[in-house]
Amino acid sequence: MTTTGLRAPAPGGPAAPAAPSLRWPALRMTSLFLASRRVPAALAALALLGLVMRAALYWHWNLGSTGSAAQAVPLLIEAGAGAVIAVSTYSPFGEPERATGRWLPWLRLGTAVALTAAALGALAAGAAAAGLAWGTLGLLRNVAGLAGLGLLTAAVTGGLLAWIGPLGYLMVAEIGLTAGWGTPLLWPGRPPANMPGALCAGLVFAAGIAVTTVRGARDSPSE
Amino acid sequence: MTATSAPARPRPAAARPSAAWPAWRLLRLELRRSPMPWTFPLLAALFAFDPYRTAMGYPAVWTIRASVLPNKLLPDFVVFVVAIAAWAGSRDGRRRTLDLVEITPRPRWAGQLAAWAATTIWAIAAFLAGTAVLYAVTATQATWGGPPWWPVIVSCAELAALAALGFTAGALWPGRFTAPLAAVATFLLSLEGFRNAVGRSSAYAVLSPTTYVPGNDAGVFYRYPPDVAIDQLMFLAGLAVVALGVLGLARSSGAGAGLRRGAAVAAAAGLAAAATAVGLAGTARQALPGTGRPPSATSPLGMQAAWVIPALHDAASDRPLPYIPVCQTVAAVPVCIHPAFRVFLPDVTAALGPVLREIAGLPGAPARAGQAASGSLVPRSGQVLVDWTPEGEISGTPPVFSYTADQVPARSFGESRRAFVTGLQAALVAAFVPAGVGQPATGAPAVPGRRTVPAVAARVAMQEALLMAAGVPLGTQRYQGLIQVQLPRAAQAQADAAAQRFAALPAATRHAWLARHLAALRAGQLTLARLP
Repeated sequence: MTTTGLRAPAPGGPAAPAAPSLRWPALRMTSLFLASRRVPAALAALALLGLVMRAALYWHWNLGSTGSAAQAVPLLIEAGAGAVIAVSTYSPFGEPERATGRWLPWLRLGTAVALTAAALGALAAGAAAAGLAWGTLGLLRNVAGLAGLGLLTAAVTGGLLAWIGPLGYLMVAEIGLTAGWGTPLLWPGRPPANMPGALCAGLVFAAGIAVTTVRGARDSPSE
Repeated sequence: MTATSAPARPRPAAARPSAAWPAWRLLRLELRRSPMPWTFPLLAALFAFDPYRTAMGYPAVWTIRASVLPNKLLPDFVVFVVAIAAWAGSRDGRRRTLDLVEITPRPRWAGQLAAWAATTIWAIAAFLAGTAVLYAVTATQATWGGPPWWPVIVSCAELAALAALGFTAGALWPGRFTAPLAAVATFLLSLEGFRNAVGRSSAYAVLSPTTYVPGNDAGVFYRYPPDVAIDQLMFLAGLAVVALGVLGLARSSGAGAGLRRGAAVAAAAGLAAAATAVGLAGTARQALPGTGRPPSATSPLGMQAAWVIPALHDAASDRPLPYIPVCQTVAAVPVCIHPAFRVFLPDVTAALGPVLREIAGLPGAPARAGQAASGSLVPRSGQVLVDWTPEGEISGTPPVFSYTADQVPARSFGESRRAFVTGLQAALVAAFVPAGVGQPATGAPAVPGRRTVPAVAARVAMQEALLMAAGVPLGTQRYQGLIQVQLPRAAQAQADAAAQRFAALPAATRHAWLARHLAALRAGQLTLARLP
């Protein structure tokens, strides 16, 4: 007897194991995806950053109340949020997940957008009525731009090292803020209503979201 | 003879590698695996844009140039060193290879120390490369002194401590978010340390290596005291040892009982060193070099005065450093400057020359002009002394005009040559004809009492007139705030008019009038009406 003819269980043979009940397959897939990206931990980290923002504004940890000095600590926290979002793109499964996950791009898109929104919510809640320089609009622009930068970095370095993008940008921006560089590429140094700065941040975010949706983070074997 | 009875061939003695060799091999492996070199291009760009550019905007004096290392270069490294150390520390936990590495003959702690050392070595190598560039360029520009090494040593200690803290955080909490969160937390601490150091929130703020920029002549007239640097080194080294000791005590370290005891002892020693440093920092106080005098409200340079820690202080730091001043004669008056500021001598002579020619031969006119250490001049009532004009005073017999180098032209401070020249002229004029009004501690313009207004107005008018005669128009005097006496509006208008009249007189007439009336003017016996 060969295996050629074994297409179906022989009559009277052992019954095939019952398929697991999948009453909510989409929900289960989403929850597994979120767990693989450590989204609950990312949300906790974002909430922590929101608390740090609150503490920084409440206890006046800033270097000054106006100008670039007022931007330093909020920008650091925003960069931290961008780094958390970027690092959450790391997948422990790599190629097998890509090969089988039909809904993967949508899950990546949803997760990135949702985490960015959560970061904005957490930091805005932390900064509420605490006198954040340039207000919620500036926060929105900075968080979106830094998250986009982190997502773009993830496509190059892999998810686990994607924090390099937002934190590297942070260092350049801190210097630019102090030196008064005027380029819109350093959007944190511009007022929130400044269109070129907002456009740059928006473009970086859109590019980051697009790359994350289509390609996701790079699978780096060294990780 | 059978094989049974044949003598066994002696086993060749295996070449046992020395104990140091595997450790070196491990370190070499970790050096090759460390991701730190990948950050070098970005660090190089940051170095070029911030620390190097800032340092080149400072005067070419060693101490102030070296202040860039802890104040600018070190903060650029903080984020990357901590994050990469945390990344390296979390490697085994992240890859779930702890079980594999724990069964190796060497304790896991040794491997972790090698990984930490690799990150630290790369970071320090990059830092030293930046330092070498900065010091090499400064060596071609500086005209006196040599490179200070304490800022380099303290910065390297901070890099080692940061790497140890980041590595331990990564090893204890090996998650994907550990590296960025550790970097953010450490940079926040660094910013807070800087804010407290600049804001003088407490004596403990001296523990932050990142702090304010010292005065232009720090380390020039007196040795810059290393007290705070020694304390910082003790604190940072202690922190590093504590972090590495905690790493050895962790369950995942694979250390045996003896090694754990060693780690515990090391951690305790590190803690003791750090605690001692904190205690010593609490005794730190500011003192003006060479005087032992604490800065006061009347000391305009209190902000930049060095800190001393009595338990670590070497009295030799208070002795003046020997030097031979560089001089040039202007209007028969030798004008001298410290050799460290030799390049500014043309600016000083250009500033003092016109005023010295105007007052030559008059009673109290300086027979010599020389540079004094910042903060060593005690403001007298009536001098025009504000924190954006150079200090100056005329004292001694024969009279010597002493000035400081607080506002030498420096791009990084926004100090232009023009402002330096006019400020120095104002200082000389104010020292020659004191306005007779005490300068408030806040640096706000001095306000004379109602009774003294007429006499003060006459002296203010003379200060304005002498500056105009030296080529500083009234508008420039107002714009730069060179005359720091606030007269009532009407009196000020009269003083301005009198100054313009006096300045319009021929030089010989002005000189002759001053020769006759200078003593009365200084004594407050002349009013505006008596001016020609």
